[in-house]
Amino acid sequence: MKVDIVTRRDGEEAVVAFEYEKRELREKPMALDVLLQAQATSMPDLAFRYGCRARNCGVCTIDINGKPRIACRSRVREGDRLAPMATLPVLADLVVRRDGIARQMHGRLANGAQGNDLNVDAPDVYHDLTACIECYACLDGCPMHARNFAGGLPGSMPDGEAQPDPAQGYKWGNPFSLLKLQRIRVDPLTTEAGQNAALANAIELGLDACVDCAGCKCGVGIDLMGQVVGQLLEAASGKLE
Amino acid sequence: MSDLGQYLVTEQAHLAMSNKRTVSGKYFAVNGKNVRMAVKTEWRDYDVIVVGSGGAGSQAAHAAAEEGARVLVVSKDPIGCSDTKISEGIATVRESGAEGDTEDALSENLRVAGGDLPVEAITNAFAEDSKQAYDRYRMLGLRPSIDTKRDTPQALPLPMGGHNKRRSVGHKNSGVAFSHANWNAVVQSDQIEYLEDAWFLELVTEDVADAEGAPQKRIVGGLLYDAARGLLVAVRAPSVVIAAGGLSTLYFPKTDTMRGNTGDSYAVAARAGADLVDMEQVQFLPFCLASPPAYEGLLCGEPMTASFLGVLRDKAGKVILDGVYLRTRAECSAAIMRAVEAGRGSPNGGAYLDMTANKQKPLSGPYFMRFLQGSLPSAYRNARQALGKVAAKCEEPWEVRPSAHYMMGGIRVDENGRSVGGAGAGEVANGITGLYAAGQAMGGVFGANRLGSTSLTEGAVFGARAGKAAAKGAAETTTKIDDAAFAPLIKQTAKCFGQKGTIAAAALKRELQHDAWDYIGPVRTAERIEKIDAKIKEWSGKLDQVAIPAYGTWNQAFIEFAELRNMLETAKLVTVAARERDGSLGGHVRLDCGEISAFSQPYSTIVNQDESGVPQVFRVERPRTPIKRLIAYKAQENWRKVQIKMLRMLPSAMQDKQLEKRYQAIMGVGGPAPEIMPGGVDGAIAEATKA
Ligand SMILES: Cc1cc2nc3c(=O)[nH]c(=O)nc-3n(C[C@H](O)[C@H](O)[C@H](O)COP(=O)(O)OP(=O)(O)OC[C@H]3O[C@@H](n4cnc5c(N)ncnc54)[C@H](O)[C@@H]3O)c2cc1C
Ligand code: SF4
Ligand code: SF4
Ligand code: FES
Repeated sequence: MKVDIVTRRDGEEAVVAFEYEKRELREKPMALDVLLQAQATSMPDLAFRYGCRARNCGVCTIDINGKPRIACRSRVREGDRLAPMATLPVLADLVVRRDGIARQMHGRLANGAQGNDLNVDAPDVYHDLTACIECYACLDGCPMHARNFAGGLPGSMPDGEAQPDPAQGYKWGNPFSLLKLQRIRVDPLTTEAGQNAALANAIELGLDACVDCAGCKCGVGIDLMGQVVGQLLEAASGKLE
Repeated sequence: MSDLGQYLVTEQAHLAMSNKRTVSGKYFAVNGKNVRMAVKTEWRDYDVIVVGSGGAGSQAAHAAAEEGARVLVVSKDPIGCSDTKISEGIATVRESGAEGDTEDALSENLRVAGGDLPVEAITNAFAEDSKQAYDRYRMLGLRPSIDTKRDTPQALPLPMGGHNKRRSVGHKNSGVAFSHANWNAVVQSDQIEYLEDAWFLELVTEDVADAEGAPQKRIVGGLLYDAARGLLVAVRAPSVVIAAGGLSTLYFPKTDTMRGNTGDSYAVAARAGADLVDMEQVQFLPFCLASPPAYEGLLCGEPMTASFLGVLRDKAGKVILDGVYLRTRAECSAAIMRAVEAGRGSPNGGAYLDMTANKQKPLSGPYFMRFLQGSLPSAYRNARQALGKVAAKCEEPWEVRPSAHYMMGGIRVDENGRSVGGAGAGEVANGITGLYAAGQAMGGVFGANRLGSTSLTEGAVFGARAGKAAAKGAAETTTKIDDAAFAPLIKQTAKCFGQKGTIAAAALKRELQHDAWDYIGPVRTAERIEKIDAKIKEWSGKLDQVAIPAYGTWNQAFIEFAELRNMLETAKLVTVAARERDGSLGGHVRLDCGEISAFSQPYSTIVNQDESGVPQVFRVERPRTPIKRLIAYKAQENWRKVQIKMLRMLPSAMQDKQLEKRYQAIMGVGGPAPEIMPGGVDGAIAEATKA
């Protein structure tokens, strides 16, 4: 089975047509199987992320034919194209730099609680949001996140404009950062001040982008529009420019 | 597999790839630099370095920050990504499920399960802190269901096998719920800085004299590779907490753990001269998937889920182990691996777990299916996805093979995670000053067997303890750090970038993984131990022939090289300890020696190495559980053998009726199946340790 692997390193991009050798007659390999075999055979220093091989750790997301997919649980077909996620800057081959997202959340994660009784049940929605494995598939097509890159993708910055430095944390948010903030808001231990702060943070990160947006989709099926974006927009009504 | 000549030269492979280029897109590097140049070194200063951002690392960082320390967290995976994140998310919380769950009861429970190898002060600390360490997680957003009657977190309905009380708390979203808390702890704090995509490479130490003038080593910092920025980072810090997880990747793909478990914890500690304890005690789970490749190594069942009529068969269909549900994990692994040894294994080097007899019984069959699906849901899901519908209905046997899961040995520490050395339980004065370990990286908590749901708690308890102790230790350090200690290390590491050679580290890694399974895996013999010892020496000698390109940013070849080196180091430590352990105990079986009797004097193996990397091993005796209690355990073991025989002798219809009754007793007529978990002895409900 032939699969195209996009590699980028040391300043050069190359697309390698990799021939996957099936290990069992009826094997339907996942994208990660292809990458592992490539690394074990003809491309020993191929760079890609993975961890659990079981859709739990959230680090193996790549673009398959232009759409973000969790590599360890996405089957590939003849002629598929495996490339790094387009929404974050590439470090090497299929590895993108992720930390600009986490760093933007520094200082925004407090719930204000102190000395509360911890024996309180959380509502279902809290657990629904906790299902997020931080795969960043939801960054795809998000206009708020795109603001970090002059409205486009990190790979196509307008001439003369510098990439934002991920080490400083991105200025503008994304569905994941909104999820983290909404999760704080629905935590039963969060104080009112904590809830307000979370909302203020969502606005600061660019919640207004959501107003006219067609919406985002979660890679593992969390209802981002219903349980995150919609809720935040409702709470922020009147507060958005 | 042993001809190194077959490996592609990395540079050549790179060239070959460029030749195949079909597009040349616009490339950008994050920091705008993509020219070849020597990697630079950045210098930093902190009070405490924490290596790893799983449960142990994050909790250590959080606790150290609370003490006022300035902390650097270093994580090769993105923050929070770890075994903790991918775990089943069940944690031990004392008194969550039963009254009278004293600290002594839990502490002794751990020691007896561990074959008396665990250190009493350490199991006591575990018992003392399990609740408060768990509450630290809750402060960070972990929200269990609440038992409103008892006003505690809701414990699972049954004591998990091996536990003598109900005290295991399950969580929605499993380990992911823990990882949100860990992520928040690291990302939020003003006291904590972190580098992800950063490989901690080496501890830096200095020789000093202690108060009495005796020679001692102290930590002055560490060296790491920041792959995201393409830099080496030299960090001056008087305290380092190693919480970098385990070594199961040594056995890849026969493992269910994260890729990053390349033994880094043990290797860096050993190279710095620290003691390691019980390094032969790798925990294997017997029933993991052998195919298709995408599912290889993942958990599909436990001895208990094989239920009353599950048997293991070889490739010819001959029963190689019956009464599987009453066997220990080690017994099941041994039966599978013995069949493989004798050439009677399945195509992928395992055996067949045949549960069809359970399914076929007209009365009890439906109960069995409910039990199988309900008690270990994620494992059943793996099996269904991997093996297909027919197998999922248990209408055909499953191909199974053991997998590496957890390392029970590790860095030798005291109850505050401080490195210790010397006789008995060890002394801080004989350890490395400023070195701490927590979580899977540490040894001494579980010995030869780990109770279910205890590892997440281990991370929380000893993470917090080590973090606090590290912060205090740093505050008490007054001596200035001399940069000279870093110089040779930086030079040596920087030289690796651009190293010319003919060997690809990734390929050598595969070869080591292959042989580690065969020689120091679940089945061992003296001869095999010697074989891999020789191979490790040979491979280690080839490290300077590994090809590594010169570029700094995310240099995968360098990463593979650094990890390979640690895996070789760790394999050596396991080998040395395995040689000293002259019998079957806990996680592995020695084909050429007998079982180590519970009545004999328990001992732990201690390994360390000198400056040139030559390992030494010695034993320390451990106090044994009183004979009277051991006799009770033995009687129970014999009783289970009788039970297996009796059930087998019954005529089929009677068997079915009896089984129906038994299922009803476990889960009621329509009630839920009791949840069990991988990683605990609950998979072996007849483990001799189940008091
Ligand atoms: C599938 C599965 C299910 C499990 N279920 C349970 C359960 O229900 N209950 C339970 O108690 N236990 C369970 N366990 C065991 C438990 O999850 C782990 O033992 C525990 O989480 C280990 O925690 P840790 O913090 O020590 O290491 P980890 O959580 O593995 O964290 C290690 C960290 O170190 C980092 N790291 C490694 N090397 C380096 C380096 N050189 N430089 C920088 N960073 C490095 C990694 O990136 C990672 O962040 C399970 C394990 C598995 C695999
Ligand atoms: S919200 Fe969904 S898509 Fe986005 S990071 Fe979380 S799991 Fe991934
Ligand atoms: S709704 Fe908001 S978060 Fe979702 S894609 Fe649109 S702008 Fe991004
Ligand atoms: S490897 Fe963990 S989610 Fe794919």
